[in-house]
Amino acid sequence: MSRSRTNAALERIGLGGITGNPVAFALVLAAMALLLAVPLTHNGYVELVFRNILMYAAMAYGWNLIGGYCGYVSFGQVTFFGLGAYCAGSLAHGGIDNLFAYVAVAMLVSAIFAIVIGLPVLRLRGHYFAIATLGIALAVTDIVANLDALGGTGGLALHQVDEAHFYIYYYAMWLVALGAMLATYFIARSKLGYAFVAIRENEDAAAVLGISATRYKIVAWAIGAMMAGAAGAVFAPANGFIDPSITFSVDSNVFPIAMTILGGIGTVAGPFIGALLLAGANELLQRTFVKAHTLFFGAMIVLIVLLLPRGLVWLFGLRGGARTWLKSLSAFRA
Amino acid sequence: MHLLAQDLVNGILAGGILAVVALGFSLVWGIMNIINLAHGAFIMVGAYVTYQLFTTFHLDPFVSLPISFVLLFALGYLIQHYLLNWVARAPILSTFLLTFGLSLLIVNIALIVWTGDTRGVTTAYSGTNFTLGDVTVPWAKLYTLLGALTITGVMQLWLTRSRTGRAIRATSMDIGAAQLSGVRVTQIYAIVFALGAGLAGVAGTLISLSYALNPSMGDPFLIKAFVVCVLGGLGSVQGALVGGLAYGIIEAFATQIDVTIGTQHISGSGLQDAIALVVLLIVLVVRPTGIMGRPTA
Repeated sequence: MSRSRTNAALERIGLGGITGNPVAFALVLAAMALLLAVPLTHNGYVELVFRNILMYAAMAYGWNLIGGYCGYVSFGQVTFFGLGAYCAGSLAHGGIDNLFAYVAVAMLVSAIFAIVIGLPVLRLRGHYFAIATLGIALAVTDIVANLDALGGTGGLALHQVDEAHFYIYYYAMWLVALGAMLATYFIARSKLGYAFVAIRENEDAAAVLGISATRYKIVAWAIGAMMAGAAGAVFAPANGFIDPSITFSVDSNVFPIAMTILGGIGTVAGPFIGALLLAGANELLQRTFVKAHTLFFGAMIVLIVLLLPRGLVWLFGLRGGARTWLKSLSAFRA
Repeated sequence: MHLLAQDLVNGILAGGILAVVALGFSLVWGIMNIINLAHGAFIMVGAYVTYQLFTTFHLDPFVSLPISFVLLFALGYLIQHYLLNWVARAPILSTFLLTFGLSLLIVNIALIVWTGDTRGVTTAYSGTNFTLGDVTVPWAKLYTLLGALTITGVMQLWLTRSRTGRAIRATSMDIGAAQLSGVRVTQIYAIVFALGAGLAGVAGTLISLSYALNPSMGDPFLIKAFVVCVLGGLGSVQGALVGGLAYGIIEAFATQIDVTIGTQHISGSGLQDAIALVVLLIVLVVRPTGIMGRPTA
């Protein structure tokens, strides 16, 4: 009963239910199927570009659970990506050379770290939570850069398969992204998803209804951490080298957030659409404007926020064309 | 013992700058509920304005201080009026992302105008210092501290005594009640954001006296502004001052840590950020309102 009401309310604001617009989701699944064909091009550059898109998509899904569904803006998602990468790096240096082991250990470590750090941090709300997570990201970066066992600022080199088999990394990243997407879909439709949305819309009211907010937030945070950790564990061997500035980069921290917002927060299709467009656009800009590409990237973000404050998925549910769109924009004006 | 005193003095000198760095950021966050990720970029622009006036017209940074305040005030006003107002009632993330995009824009324009080369403002008193017992004090940093204290003092007076200042504080306490009393909230927002940018410009000028300049110099200060705000308490002048000094002192002492466990060498200067951020996390969990903050309902 209350589920159908929630869905109806989300439908009214153009989001099309708890998983977002179904047409958008179907399109995204079709796009994922098409992406299976990328290694057939035998073009290393194209494969790298799309592997990065899938990597950012997986991280964006991780962020979407806590930031999109629960409404808790985290600036710490990169921490779990980096942890995952360093799990793979440490295992590689311990003589283990198995992608599955990397991913499994990375997910486990990320989840444990997320739970331990989440217990105090998820008691904070709003901006304070955002800053605490930013603090964690920076502190972990600093600590890793100073640990000799992890190579310090010098980083770690990982053994790679020979170049003819690089597609293994591509398909591993594809699986991680697909896993993150499907996990989001099923979580959103389960009791968990409705609890997350209830927390996002009104945490106090959710608590009154008997939703243990802290417990659900930690679940969202830990599952999101596992997604980012898995992406990091594939990234490390695929890149062949990790150091603190690559794995904990500002880009890896902010891109997934920008992508989710561009696509549509709190939807299943949004993070993938955002990752595809933003990572793709960034790549094109980098090739066209070698020096000034970040300038155009900044301008693009500003335009997205001004023109598409609810994300692209929302356009799928838009009835009435350009006029409704313009009207919806003026609703946000001061 | 003299090391301890020197650290304390270094911390206080650095803390004065941090107070001004955080002041504008704290006002915008506390009153408008906007986290301005372009604050670091504003600081950078302020520093470069000072650099340009110094190299072209040989203006002393303390003379160009009002100029960079006015220029950044105007920039902030335009941004608030033409961009932020568009998304004033959108979900909080929108302003986050908007200011992030703006910061990328501003930093990259600066990269084109001034290139990525490191620059500096070298005045007659740069590099000179005096000693007080065992403690060495650089003149430039002392002037900067005095400048910072003056500015926070003026801000505090203006916010408590002037009509606009009172309207600003009223808006931060209760928007509805302020509107009912005849405060034009949109105008107040424009002034607060412009003021935040202007204060960032002032901070940039002060920073240019003792730090090297490059287009991405604002980033570390943005992060420090976060920590100082949380440490001191949001949206208040005293909070920024106390938080700035506290953070400066914590950082100065943290750099002195130097231990070796097994083969792992731990040096405080490498872990400066980590230590300060751990302090931040502890404050957030134990006393989220900050040192000077009052608990809110």
